[in-house]
Amino acid sequence: MSEEEQNALKRIVQSTIQFIYGMAGHDMTRFALKTRGSMEHLFILITMGDLLGVPILPPYYSLRLLPYVVPQISTWKRRMLRERDLTDALA
Amino acid sequence: MIMGVRRDGETMSALSYKLISPRARTILMIFIYFYLLLIMGAFGNAVGKTLMANPKVPFGMISLVLMGVLAGQMTYRWKQDIILTSIVTVVVTFVGIWVGTLPAVSDFFSSIYRSADNPTILLGNTQAQVIGTLLMLLFCYLGSVLPIWSFAQPVNYVSFWIVTLGMLGGVIGLVIWHPGMGDFPVFTKFTTASGPLWPMLMVTIACGAISGWHSLVSTSGTARQLEKETDALPVGGGAMFMESAFAIVAFLAATVAFGGYQGYLDAGGAGAALGVFAKGMAAFLAKIGIPTDFGVAYGSVFLTIMAITIMQLVVRFMRVASAEMLGDRLPVMKNIHVGSIIALLLTFVFVLIIPWLTIWGAFGGANQLMAGLALLLVSLWLMSEGKKHTWALYPAIFMIVTDIAALLWIAYKSFFKDLPAATDAANTQGAAAAAIIGAICIVLVLAALVLIVDAWQAIQRVRAVKPAEA
Repeated sequence: MSEEEQNALKRIVQSTIQFIYGMAGHDMTRFALKTRGSMEHLFILITMGDLLGVPILPPYYSLRLLPYVVPQISTWKRRMLRERDLTDALA
Repeated sequence: MIMGVRRDGETMSALSYKLISPRARTILMIFIYFYLLLIMGAFGNAVGKTLMANPKVPFGMISLVLMGVLAGQMTYRWKQDIILTSIVTVVVTFVGIWVGTLPAVSDFFSSIYRSADNPTILLGNTQAQVIGTLLMLLFCYLGSVLPIWSFAQPVNYVSFWIVTLGMLGGVIGLVIWHPGMGDFPVFTKFTTASGPLWPMLMVTIACGAISGWHSLVSTSGTARQLEKETDALPVGGGAMFMESAFAIVAFLAATVAFGGYQGYLDAGGAGAALGVFAKGMAAFLAKIGIPTDFGVAYGSVFLTIMAITIMQLVVRFMRVASAEMLGDRLPVMKNIHVGSIIALLLTFVFVLIIPWLTIWGAFGGANQLMAGLALLLVSLWLMSEGKKHTWALYPAIFMIVTDIAALLWIAYKSFFKDLPAATDAANTQGAAAAAIIGAICIVLVLAALVLIVDAWQAIQRVRAVKPAEA
């Protein structure tokens, strides 16, 4: 089998795996990521609540934790500030 | 889906709030609630009164549920390998479907259903239909109140394999068999039992058609799950491709599988559409060596899964909707059990009193009308972005006109034909069914008309802004 044929075969196998994963396993992965995201956002709300006017933790500890939280802040703000409605229950 | 992606994952109702008008969201929510009720009624009728009423089906479904729960435990609690989990749960489910066809098990369900004398016990429904419906509602209740990871999601996962392998087996059997179309007569009439060909044909076919359900889920769900924007094409297109593939398999299962028109009539014809599908699938699967008895039960479980996996999600949604809408006035509505039970009671009434074909037409009309409204929303968004929009607007107009015509036809038939006929015959149940369906169709049409008027005004606003910008 030539190298080109091998590559084509690999692409087909890869696409099939992705296809099955998308239809079967993706929902589980998404659920796990969603749960992790919810926990992280709850953590950020507790530690960085000041950003939204919800002071929970004294600023000293917030500042100590800030470097670890920075990468998540943009997605956290988007989630916290997004207007929610009933159709979110379908997501 | 792309609209959701480009607008930070906003849902269809949030988009209508911003693009059309503030009241559009409220109207859309009312529309959606009735629409979901119709989904429950249409699918519930098919599953509870027909598929689950077959004594060879319930054991397979119970096996699926138990294996789904096991899959959840194995994956999330016991951290087992997904391949091992899949093999164990899927194989045991198949064994369960097969065991359900054995005389000892099917006779047990026959005795519970009293299949021998088949008594009518509630609102003109047989004992088998009532118990089948209750089993279905129990499944939906569990899906609504249990944590997603422990029930709904793993059951859906195991269901995926059952349905996909069924389709694959059916297609392979079909290819091996490659039967002809037989002697099905050419259809030349304009009027059918469901009403005139236009608009009823467009709302009767659901699988493979453009769908409001997919519009709803793709904005609130799929748009937020994509890894990158370019994945929208294979994911969205792929999903629709699978849907249309299923539609073609279903069409072939109801036609070529019986050798000809007489075979189709002998299998039950249009009056037993679900049974026809199950028998057709069994005929395809028989070509790869699967016994017909197992094939029929498998075909029934296959269809049940297709419906019930959506239904449990719908009950969950209806529970959240009632808590949001009534929770402040009636705090008890915030209780997950109360909200779920009320949604299920409404479904129970719908399923028991309204004939399947009637509710299916109304469901199709609402579903496709929702898709038309989604296309209208897409047109408006494209206009506001200054992009070409006619490719979405013209189909939206066609769909909206067709679906409103269909809903009006059903309302007319309900109020001016079915209701007087039922009243004359002193059939209280038939009269109630006609009144409910007619009223829901009118509510849906009014809601759609308000949305269309608001959307038209929004279009004028966008058009007025564009020249001013230029």
